[in-house]
Amino acid sequence: MADSPIRLGTRAAGVLGGVALRPVVQAATLAGRAERAARAAAIGRLSAATLAAVDAALASRVTEEALDRVLASALARRGVDRALEGPLVEAVAAGLSEHGVIKRVLDDQVMEQAVALVLASDELWLVVEEIAHSPAVTEAITQQSIGFADEVAGGVRARSRSADDWIEAKVRRALRRRPVAGSP
Amino acid sequence: MAVAARAAAEPEQPTAAEPVYEGLVTRAIAFTLDAALVNFVALVVGAALALAVSVLQLSNELDAAAAACAGVAYLLWTVAYFVTFWSSTGQTPGNRVMRIRVVLAKDGGRLRPGRALVRLGALVLAALPLFAGFLTILVDDRRRGLQDMIAGTVVVAAPEEEQPGVSAPGP
Repeated sequence: MADSPIRLGTRAAGVLGGVALRPVVQAATLAGRAERAARAAAIGRLSAATLAAVDAALASRVTEEALDRVLASALARRGVDRALEGPLVEAVAAGLSEHGVIKRVLDDQVMEQAVALVLASDELWLVVEEIAHSPAVTEAITQQSIGFADEVAGGVRARSRSADDWIEAKVRRALRRRPVAGSP
Repeated sequence: MAVAARAAAEPEQPTAAEPVYEGLVTRAIAFTLDAALVNFVALVVGAALALAVSVLQLSNELDAAAAACAGVAYLLWTVAYFVTFWSSTGQTPGNRVMRIRVVLAKDGGRLRPGRALVRLGALVLAALPLFAGFLTILVDDRRRGLQDMIAGTVVVAAPEEEQPGVSAPGP
């Protein structure tokens, strides 16, 4: 069935319009790409500049001084106090337990290496030696040794007196003598 | 009559003032500790002296004289050990470990050195017949050995809080 003249005219107008607007559409597309590229470049440069500024700020003595002052301030102490008073501690403990943080840290080889490093350090043995020679530790060991010796001697005394009573009871029974005063 | 027989069969009840007399095993352990201490000191001193004398080339006569001197020194050391401790605190180190004390039988007082020396001599006498002199401890009411009977002493318990030199109550 042949198309009507109206339909043919409409199609021709559409085709002609599309051809006529194609340069405009392509120009708009190119403009959009250029805008996105320019925006991405600007954001990248801005981010890099921001990070550089942060690095510079962190490395500066002024920042360090400011941090020291903040940490030394009453505000910091109050903040720590409030944090410790609040539910944060329980939340942290619950988080450590829930995620098995302590077990993970203990299982980690880093922990073993840290322990090995500590054990290999001369400072540790210096500290151990210092503690071992401290008067408090020496006195505690002496007291414990005396207490142990006294405990052993007390056991020997108790058994020897029981043996005394037992032997005497046997001998006196064999000799048909009266039991000694106070014996069982 | 029946009352008297029952009283004879029943053990005597200790009075509050009566001291606790120590038996054969406790005293034997205390004496063993003392003997170990006496011999240990004698051994160390003797070894040190022997080492020092070994660098000198002594003749046989001097060697015998040195041995005799060592024997006399050992005897004096042993006598001094027991006499000193018995007459000062009534407790040798072995007695102190076992918490017993040698006191006079008549009043619980401290021994004089002469009596302590007599007791030591009697101790040797008691040991000579195969330690038979100690067996009287088992049957005597105050657990006295031959040395206690000869020297007029008894061996009593010395509680920890009791200070040395404080005599036990008399019999």
